Amino acid sequence: MRKPTDRQSPWLAALGCVLSVLLALVMQAAPTRLVDGVNIMPTWPLVAIFLWSGVRPQFMPPIAVFAIGLTQDLLTGAPMGVWALSYLIAIAAFRFRGEDGMPRDLPPVLLRFAGTLLLAHGIAFTAGSFALEQMADLQPLIIEIVATLLMFPLVAYLVLRRRRSGRSGFIGG
Amino acid sequence: MASRRSTRNDNDQRVTFSRPLFIALLVVSGALIAFDRPASRSDAFGAFRAGFTDLAAPLLELGAQPIRSVKGIGPYFRRQGALAEENAQLRQQLIEARYWEDLAYRQRDRIEIYEDALDVETPMIQDRIGAWTVADPQGPFVQARLIGRGLEAGIRDGYPVINLYGLVGRVYETGRRSARVLLLTDLNSRIPVMADRSNARAILIGDNSDYPRLEYVGRVPDLQEGDRIVSSGDGGILPRGLPVGEAIRTRSGEWRVRLYSDQAPVDFVWVWPYQRIVPPDQEPDEADLELPPAELPLIVDTPDGETDAEPEAAPDAGADDGTAPDDASGDASPEEQP
Repeated sequence: MRKPTDRQSPWLAALGCVLSVLLALVMQAAPTRLVDGVNIMPTWPLVAIFLWSGVRPQFMPPIAVFAIGLTQDLLTGAPMGVWALSYLIAIAAFRFRGEDGMPRDLPPVLLRFAGTLLLAHGIAFTAGSFALEQMADLQPLIIEIVATLLMFPLVAYLVLRRRRSGRSGFIGG
Repeated sequence: MASRRSTRNDNDQRVTFSRPLFIALLVVSGALIAFDRPASRSDAFGAFRAGFTDLAAPLLELGAQPIRSVKGIGPYFRRQGALAEENAQLRQQLIEARYWEDLAYRQRDRIEIYEDALDVETPMIQDRIGAWTVADPQGPFVQARLIGRGLEAGIRDGYPVINLYGLVGRVYETGRRSARVLLLTDLNSRIPVMADRSNARAILIGDNSDYPRLEYVGRVPDLQEGDRIVSSGDGGILPRGLPVGEAIRTRSGEWRVRLYSDQAPVDFVWVWPYQRIVPPDQEPDEADLELPPAELPLIVDTPDGETDAEPEAAPDAGADDGTAPDDASGDASPEEQP
């Protein structure tokens, strides 16, 4: 029988965090348009940042959020700093505070994520328009927001379920 | 309640969203946005971006593999009923295509004979560089593709990129093993084009929509719906004659182009090595050009009407008084040839 201390290995949790963020970034840049009918891509990196900052805030310090945003900028060809700035501000504004961290019920998590998402995309639109020196295209942003809002409950449900069933936390914890 | 109790370790309590670091990162982000604008991006930023995509390309290629393997599943099941009919049509087209293939080979042979006779070398006969799309970021700020070949394969900035059907875009960021292709639909894309039928010129401007618009067509443009639009070669940015799409007119009277390259997902592409035609004022210095061999005699008209053959080359003599002898231009560098 595994000891409780084994379940609380921070290394396993850290590995899970790194892998999930990498997966989110690769999925964001993957050529999904090759598959017929798949033209909508949710903002997976923000989903990963938001959930990890709620479940394991020590894995999502500002420098990590910044690095993820910057990596997304570089992978997608956007001006550097746009998504880094957006994620930093949005997560700082809507991150879970308090001792309990992220609640275990879906509706409050969903509500807070919606706020994070809207703020992040609003800042990205403004910063991107400034960098491009012309108005950025609003339609893909709206599509991204809708797609992310549609996909987030599924991921969040799995995370919350895993968290409830776990003794004291998320992967490895 | 067990499920409501705190789930954090004591160590977690020390975790804070450090305010000084947060503010510092905000400043860094703002500085990056200010200095990494596409319109005024420095070489250092460009090199950094290219280096990063080089590192990320293998990972992205790995991520693209499963997508590439399932890309045909959707159309296959949806169009199963129409496949037999389509197959018959394709067989018929294949028979017709064999005639055109034979004709193309004969035309190619004729062109080679003419080019040999005229001593002309067109850039279109250069080999194309095939590359797979490894990333397809779908963002509001840029419409681009990342391809898995770069400087090592001979790709350079500005080279046109085509797929089976037509022009896709052009390379704008080149790393050692990867390159980014700016699509014709991107906000920053500007391509000089013309109608194949009338040679009416226009600029194809991307606006992130599927149908880039034609601008600067004049007050009474000689355009018709369905006109084949090709690259005009104006400005020397792209070779002339690359198929782009067909002209369509919107309800508001605006001219747009339905891109040929949209007939299939942009997966495998060819990069077309193309030396941009440089205007005379931007050509390399005279000292860098290959001078005519010194032993060739130059024919110079003497003031008394006699013609002397001078043993020494005097390339500057003609240039100074604007009377460069025609015979000397026979040794011009390839850039000066038509």
